[in-house]
Amino acid sequence: MNIQSAKTTGNSDLITLDDIDHAIIDLLRADGRLPYRALARELELTEATVRSRVKRLEESGTMRVVAVTDIEAAGYQMLLAIGVQIEDRSPSEVAKDLAKIPEIFSVNVVVGTHDVEILVVAEDLDALNALQAKVLSTVPGIRRLTASLALDVLKNQPDWVPFHD
Amino acid sequence: MTRQRLDDVDKAIVERLSRDARTANRKIAHDLGVTEGTVRARIKRMQEEKLIRITAVTNIDRFRDAALAYIWIEVERSHQTQAVAEALTEVPELGFVGVMLGRSDILAITMVRSTEHLAEFVHNNISGVEGVRRTQSTLGVNFIKHDYRMARIVS
Repeated sequence: MNIQSAKTTGNSDLITLDDIDHAIIDLLRADGRLPYRALARELELTEATVRSRVKRLEESGTMRVVAVTDIEAAGYQMLLAIGVQIEDRSPSEVAKDLAKIPEIFSVNVVVGTHDVEILVVAEDLDALNALQAKVLSTVPGIRRLTASLALDVLKNQPDWVPFHD
Repeated sequence: MTRQRLDDVDKAIVERLSRDARTANRKIAHDLGVTEGTVRARIKRMQEEKLIRITAVTNIDRFRDAALAYIWIEVERSHQTQAVAEALTEVPELGFVGVMLGRSDILAITMVRSTEHLAEFVHNNISGVEGVRRTQSTLGVNFIKHDYRMARIVS
């Protein structure tokens, strides 16, 4: 099987990561605002070294330190996993159209019963209805949507994500 | 479990931090026309109230031969759903664990290297959890989008 992931744009050079890089990533995963001084102390390195390491990780498109907003705090009450069946169009093309919709925060072309799996957030039932009627149903190639509503999300911290910009 | 919403200043700060969370408070304060103390206090409050989480994310493109796998889990009895889901949150490889209504009782998402790896992962980490009746997996072939700025912050 040919497994590939979405290509990033920009200077996404593949750099080789050593133990220090991995240690920096681990520390910044736990606390992204950890000052360079504290990172340096923790790793027994100079602040300048740590700064240049972080810079290299960022500029090579390997790592980013970002703020993640809680879905509920952003005003979204509902999260759904929706399987999309497609006809008369390539799944990748439909997936790219779906990726443009902000409420669809995850899009994957898959093999199985469905052709594309998406994760969707909605403010409430009315917003979900509008999304389905005015947005999803207008994307060409979608034959059927099979939804599953998340009642409780116990964990949502993927470390692996595609970078887009 | 309604959480407090973010006001306009909060949103402006988060917008900056969602692009680069290592931007200095001083710079954010200057750009937004508020004091550095306001920025510091707002970030601290949003973190403490679990409205935002500041973290490092790594680029999946670095991991060649990696594919996303959706694992749909059915439990033996409905009342076991929560306990099974809680047990699964302890599996470090899982980036998403949700109790679902429809399609399956639980959805878990992870990264795998191959179909063999997926089978081995499910066998070693999921099938053996007490209360799991059966699983069905969907393997991703092309990871088009994942907006890392959106997540459910639980810990």
